[in-house]
Amino acid sequence: MFRISREFWLLLLLMLLAGSSFAIQRFPRPEFETGYQQPDTMLPGPRAEIMAVVDLAVLILALSAVSWMVLKKRSRKGVFWVSMFSLVYFGFYREGCICAVGSVQNVTLALFDQTYPIPLTVLAFFIIPLIFTLFFGRTFCAGVCPFGAMQDLVAFRPKTINSKVDAALGMIPYLYLGLAVLFAATGTDFVICRYDPFVGIFRLNTGFSMLLFAAILLLTGIFIARPYCRYLCPYGVLLNWISRFSYRHMTITPAECINCRLCENSCPYGAIKIPNSVKYAETRRRRVRKLMFITLLIPFLMVGGGWAGSRLQETFAGVNRTVKLAKELLVSDQNGQDIESFEIKAFRSSGKPLTEVYQEARIILHRFLIGGWILGAFLGLTTGLMVAGKLLENHQSDYVPDKGACLSCARCTDYCPVMRNTMPTELNHKA
Amino acid sequence: MPTRRVFLQNLIRGGILAGLGLLTGSLVFRSRKGGTCRLNISCNVCSKNGSCTLVPAFETRQFVWQLDPSKCIQCGRCATECVRTPSAVKCVHVYAMCGYCDLCGGYFKPDTKTLNTGAENQLCPTSAIKRSFIEDPFFEYTIDENLCIGCGKCVKGCGAFGNGSLQLQIRHHLCDNCNECAIARKCPAGAFSRIPATSPYLLRGFGKQPLSGDKPGEPESF
Amino acid sequence: MKSKIVIFVAIVMLIAIMGYMAWDLFLSAPPEAKNPWEYKLSDLKRVDSSIPNYIEMKPFKPEMEEVHGVDVDMSGTIYVVGKNRVEIFSRDGNLKNSFPISGIGTCITMRNQLIYVGILDHIELFNISGDRIKRWKRTAPGSVITSIAVNGNDVFLADAGNKMVYRYTAEGKLLNRIGQKDTVQNIPGFVIPSPYFDLAIGKDRTLWVVNPGRHSFEHYTMEGHLLNSWGSASNSTADFCGCCNPTNFTLLNDGSFVTSEKGIERIKIYSNEGVYRELVATPEMFAEGVKGLDLAVDPQGRILVLDPAKNQVRVFVRK
Repeated sequence: MFRISREFWLLLLLMLLAGSSFAIQRFPRPEFETGYQQPDTMLPGPRAEIMAVVDLAVLILALSAVSWMVLKKRSRKGVFWVSMFSLVYFGFYREGCICAVGSVQNVTLALFDQTYPIPLTVLAFFIIPLIFTLFFGRTFCAGVCPFGAMQDLVAFRPKTINSKVDAALGMIPYLYLGLAVLFAATGTDFVICRYDPFVGIFRLNTGFSMLLFAAILLLTGIFIARPYCRYLCPYGVLLNWISRFSYRHMTITPAECINCRLCENSCPYGAIKIPNSVKYAETRRRRVRKLMFITLLIPFLMVGGGWAGSRLQETFAGVNRTVKLAKELLVSDQNGQDIESFEIKAFRSSGKPLTEVYQEARIILHRFLIGGWILGAFLGLTTGLMVAGKLLENHQSDYVPDKGACLSCARCTDYCPVMRNTMPTELNHKA
Repeated sequence: MPTRRVFLQNLIRGGILAGLGLLTGSLVFRSRKGGTCRLNISCNVCSKNGSCTLVPAFETRQFVWQLDPSKCIQCGRCATECVRTPSAVKCVHVYAMCGYCDLCGGYFKPDTKTLNTGAENQLCPTSAIKRSFIEDPFFEYTIDENLCIGCGKCVKGCGAFGNGSLQLQIRHHLCDNCNECAIARKCPAGAFSRIPATSPYLLRGFGKQPLSGDKPGEPESF
Repeated sequence: MKSKIVIFVAIVMLIAIMGYMAWDLFLSAPPEAKNPWEYKLSDLKRVDSSIPNYIEMKPFKPEMEEVHGVDVDMSGTIYVVGKNRVEIFSRDGNLKNSFPISGIGTCITMRNQLIYVGILDHIELFNISGDRIKRWKRTAPGSVITSIAVNGNDVFLADAGNKMVYRYTAEGKLLNRIGQKDTVQNIPGFVIPSPYFDLAIGKDRTLWVVNPGRHSFEHYTMEGHLLNSWGSASNSTADFCGCCNPTNFTLLNDGSFVTSEKGIERIKIYSNEGVYRELVATPEMFAEGVKGLDLAVDPQGRILVLDPAKNQVRVFVRK
């Protein structure tokens, strides 16, 4: 039976409303004697608004499903199939847009620009995965994000990355997040969307350079599992922080860890914390020395980073279109023009005074100065904290996932031999 | 035994929840200038421009991209920069503004000798404009969207020699509604902006003012 | 060992990607200024600038937002109408008087001590101090008054909205319509694709009216009989370009026509028989796309051109 959905009627209504507004006579309609009927200008509307709410509902359902699969069923297969559904729905059907990763920029823009009314669904796409992460860990990454699903498909031969290299590369998402926030806050550009590797594949319609970009990333992804997630994703920074405080993060073992070491090489992302000694003691003196070093290092890195960021003010500001225009106008004023760019042509025909452009550009440049300091200081802080984390390693007795880095993909659960409802033995019970 | 560590953890969790709640609240319930916002979207464009220049949006505040023909300089980037091939930008004919001229400024090349539908006479690189005789001296011009690439040549001709009834617009049944429109990034005139999805087209009348359906009897101003 | 190489290569590829992103964002060149589908209007407009026998003098600068109409009276006083205002200038450019009007003024004419101002769909009469004497009703629904001409006891209104010329008495009583399509009298009817429709009083109680869609000037008696017409269309200098031109005109003392066009913006002079004579102003002197270059001639023969793009009344004098 063919049933016409509510969305169809809504869409039809929208189209009719949009098309009918031009049936009205306007000067200077010629007088037609032969009974010619002037056609209406057809104005097909966009996707019905209700569908954005449907997307939101699917998001919540998928998050719930994957969280259940990870925490209750502990099933890698279940997580995999939810992630495939997400790839199809959020990836190929919705063509990867709007996504939680990009929503960081929308929220930033909304906070800094009073005239940008953020669509409520975009705000929800930002907030809801964060809330799920606070309760259940990074289940969003495992089963809902289409990027992750795409990369999971090619992760055939994941290699272990040296922890120092991993830590260094792990700083890049902070840089990316900082830049994305900086550019969104100044209303310059949405860089995450600009360098979205997979959107061309999702659209099944892409230029050569975009395809090459995606291909190289996927090729890398064969040997370094989920490279975008671990070393680029800016939203992952927020998920990482929140996941560390999650109420119920997934565990490798359903009960007590028996240190059988079977899960040691099961994580393609190197997110399992390995027990480091039976007895590990650090002299108090060493610890104090380390803490002193860290207390000096962090402010030094923050100031140094902030200073470096401020030095890059012009480079960053150069991305902004108003600043670019002002620079061009300055150059053309001095050199005289041979071929006028379209930007200058458009500016001249707009009738805007030159001083106004220069003034706007100056204000934006100043914002980038402040932004550069903050970005640099932020990076300095996070680098310092990363170093601190490495130096002040705590005693680890069991195999547990790193709550920040674990993507809750549930691969490791397949390796753990411990049955549920195992009574903890005296031997394993630690104080 | 609940330790200091657990307490701190719960504190931070609470802080995160509170922070997210604050964020949501501040973005959903924005302060409205003057309290007379008729749009329910609280964007404060009115405080920037002195009056509200938007049309009502639905509750979810969905926005779409659209270009303003009064700012457009017909640079041709609409045809090349769109992430879709062919571009989602097409030429739209506002019949209500058309003069139905024999010598259409948007259809014919400027040096045309005979006014017929020969392809050598046409401005359009893909011959997407169809010309048909109605009665003396009026001709109807329609655009075949399957052929139109959105280059803007006809728009320039119509705007210079005619009434400007041919205008470039993003067609929303083709547009992906990207978070950041790729054409918007490259438009030299800054003609692209986000507008409410309930009123997704920006067509311009004479004197570059917007064409709307709510004032039927009044003559268009210059 | 092989593993290490693979990891190394993979990491290098990753860094290459990030490097590409940074390069593209910060260092890539701006987009080209080449439009493969460019419609070069400038080629059409190129005219040898030494051709005109007229030079430009210092312009008048009214202080309103938009200017739409200009006229000169027999003493050389200049009247300019625009958005919500009328301004009156003396011959040498000093502002003598100005007064507000109730809407966007589209055309203006001064005769018999009265200033006739067209305000969109009707006209209003003012005295020279700016007091409103009378407000006429609109000619018909949908009227757009683009030109007014007064001759003694006759007032002629060009209504672009209804595509008709109306003749009234000075008191406002409608006498007859001019230009209605009439196959018996061979009157083709006005084709007005855009709101530019001008007329002027000719010699011996006749009226010259532009039929812009047919690129011609039509010569009527005041009762509405068509006497003759002239004009042809092409992009060459001697003809009228585009779909609907000329947009404005005025008559010199010897009956020759001064015309202005849009599309290829230029001011030309035709003899009183419609033969192209010379160019007054070339397209380079005007902003691209300017429309509505209203014209007036003062008693010394200076040609006044209203420039809506620059918001000025520009003055051209014969060399």
